[in-house]
Amino acid sequence: MSNIYKSKKYVFLFLAPAFLFMIIYLYYPFFVNIYGSFRGIKNLGTFGTKWNTPWYENYVKLVTDPVVRTSLKNTFIMIIATIVGQVGIALLLAILVDNIERGTQFFRTVYFFPIVISATALGLLFNLIFLYDKGMLNQFLELFGRTELIDWKGEKLAIMTMMIPVVWQYVGFYFVILQTGLNNISQELYESAAIDGATRFQRVWYISLPLLRNVLCTCLTLGVTGALKVFDLPWTMFPKGMPLKETFLTGTYMYYQTMEAKNVDYGATLAVLIVVLGVVLSRLTRLVFKESEDF
Amino acid sequence: MKFKNLTAVLMTAVMTLGMVGCGSTAPEAPAAEAPAQTESPAAEAPAAEAEAPAETTEATGPVEITVTTTFAGEDSNAQNYKNAVADWEAATGNTVSDTSATSDETFKTRIITDFETGSEPDVLFFFNGADANDFVNAGKVVSIDDIRVEFPEYASNMNDDLIAASPADGKKYAVPVNGYWEAMFVNTEVLDAAGVEVPGADYTWDQFLEDCQKIKDAGYAPIAAALGNIPHYWWEFAIFNQQTPDNHLDIPGAADDATGAQWVAGLEDIKDLYEKGFFPDNTLSATDDETFAMFTDGKAAFLLDGSWKVGGIVGSCQSDPEDPSTIDADKLSHFDVTYFPGKGNRKTTDMIGGLSMGYYITTKAWEDPDKKAAAVSFVEHMTSDEVVPLFAQHTASALKNAPAVDETQFNALQVKAMSMMSGVTSLTGAVQDLFNGDCRVSTFDGMPDIVVGNVSAADAVQEGIDVYKDTLE
Repeated sequence: MSNIYKSKKYVFLFLAPAFLFMIIYLYYPFFVNIYGSFRGIKNLGTFGTKWNTPWYENYVKLVTDPVVRTSLKNTFIMIIATIVGQVGIALLLAILVDNIERGTQFFRTVYFFPIVISATALGLLFNLIFLYDKGMLNQFLELFGRTELIDWKGEKLAIMTMMIPVVWQYVGFYFVILQTGLNNISQELYESAAIDGATRFQRVWYISLPLLRNVLCTCLTLGVTGALKVFDLPWTMFPKGMPLKETFLTGTYMYYQTMEAKNVDYGATLAVLIVVLGVVLSRLTRLVFKESEDF
Repeated sequence: MKFKNLTAVLMTAVMTLGMVGCGSTAPEAPAAEAPAQTESPAAEAPAAEAEAPAETTEATGPVEITVTTTFAGEDSNAQNYKNAVADWEAATGNTVSDTSATSDETFKTRIITDFETGSEPDVLFFFNGADANDFVNAGKVVSIDDIRVEFPEYASNMNDDLIAASPADGKKYAVPVNGYWEAMFVNTEVLDAAGVEVPGADYTWDQFLEDCQKIKDAGYAPIAAALGNIPHYWWEFAIFNQQTPDNHLDIPGAADDATGAQWVAGLEDIKDLYEKGFFPDNTLSATDDETFAMFTDGKAAFLLDGSWKVGGIVGSCQSDPEDPSTIDADKLSHFDVTYFPGKGNRKTTDMIGGLSMGYYITTKAWEDPDKKAAAVSFVEHMTSDEVVPLFAQHTASALKNAPAVDETQFNALQVKAMSMMSGVTSLTGAVQDLFNGDCRVSTFDGMPDIVVGNVSAADAVQEGIDVYKDTLE
């Protein structure tokens, strides 16, 4: 009877399905993708008919392609926007809501709601808000006497216009996580501090934030790695990196090269770059936002 | 004890097989297996059953076929298409799962990707030029001749000489419905406000530049175009303006040969228009829908587009876009359509047009005994003598017995279109239909970079030619 629990081989037996799943759907495609990045491929579902000349041609192009630099720059801006905008605003809101006695559930629902809306629908919604002619924002500005229309999706403002909806959509996600973290802090600590004369700010600074450190680290790790995968909302609002390929992220540029430009092998090369970037950044994030065992 | 071990092993095995089983539903698997499933019974079946495949397919109950067309959005025939599909469904009891979408580069890419991943529709209304080469070469559509072996009446009402052959193998696949033309729509209200006459049959490029300047000075956008989204029509005519109908369909061998230089000069004309500020301020970031709305709202004067846009303009003059009786005739009277300004050896009245699209039946549907007859029946209905004239309206068709056009049924803009077409001196196909998808990327998606000067027109053209040569290898 007890052998079944002691024997390690059964553990491997149960791990096998998930392992096989990963092999078939993750590692096999990954290595095939690397192989594909050295081939000349025009159509999906094939390995092409020839090797690139030289075989590392796509990797040279990766280094010299100015759009790759733009997409990397935008991806890093997106990471910063995630840290400051998503997690930062979510923390602020969570602390504010934690300090009110009624309506906590209401704010949870309100802030979390954008998460359940499809990113594509949100993209279309924000397209109407930022529309050049008759868009909501420009109509508001007209009410206040502005006569010239602002091209929110033009070259100068495109990145900001792209970041705002992405940040807005995920604030609620981190808000709920941080709010749960705040709820787990014992009220006795706050009461003791209040008796000792601590102000609300001091209670947040000396009690809430230190005790929230591990939750914050988790949020920041999720935020940074999540920023690398943002795709649907930017693509809906700024297809093909419009304008002037200025709004490409690494993910949207890979999709563009593979699906739109039909440069499948170069798309595969960009996918390799994304994986490398993901691994490096997640390692870095774990180093920087290392969870403490003190809490 | 042993029973528990056995249970654990069995459960694991079932889970593993289940997951691996999921893998067998990958997109390509059914496509690879389907022919075997459909062909083997036929091969093994008794002769009597094998000789009556059509009867077998017709004997099955109502089926659902998937159909993709470009009759959607602002297309003139979007409503006609819906009506024709509803009629066919009512008559046959079959149903159509429709995934039609507006025709643009994304639509073309989607279709090609659908074929590559084995998720193509049963019936497809698509371009008959080089854009179809990939799936024609892959044997994923059935030729009209092959269909006629089993269904001799298929497309027999069409003039075969007018059905375009595929550039991939010279066979005919797509049964055409309506022709198209590309021309310049005009908002006469804007022209009046700017003191500009409606262009006529002798309108030149220089006059066009002068008029654009007047319109711009009057505070309007001269040209409604989204260069970052749909530069197609400007690309086509700007190049055509450097050529004649005789050599417009030539593909350059290099950016610096005679044809290549004409392409470069055409793109530089567009750059010139951009630098002069004749496109909307947001032309690089706008969508085609946005600039079209500028045109219909009286904020832009000229719109270069195709015959399918007549319906969109008329729709914008109706309080209910789907009810023609709600049309505002006065508003519609402010729209006209005329020839693209001529330059060099191209006459103003030389136009782009023809029969560039048609209905394909995919091999997937053809080899499905349940769908074969339904797909054929659908295409026969949509290309029948009764339905085609509804779609063709003021454009051409390939019908053997095309009925006389009844202009009394036309709205004001359709009448103006007919009048313009009566003065056409030549109708030439679009060279972009021969210069397929991947080759156009550097000059279509790259158009914003060309007009702002990030990339030279010559480099962009050469890049496209290199890709074109690559596809020929």
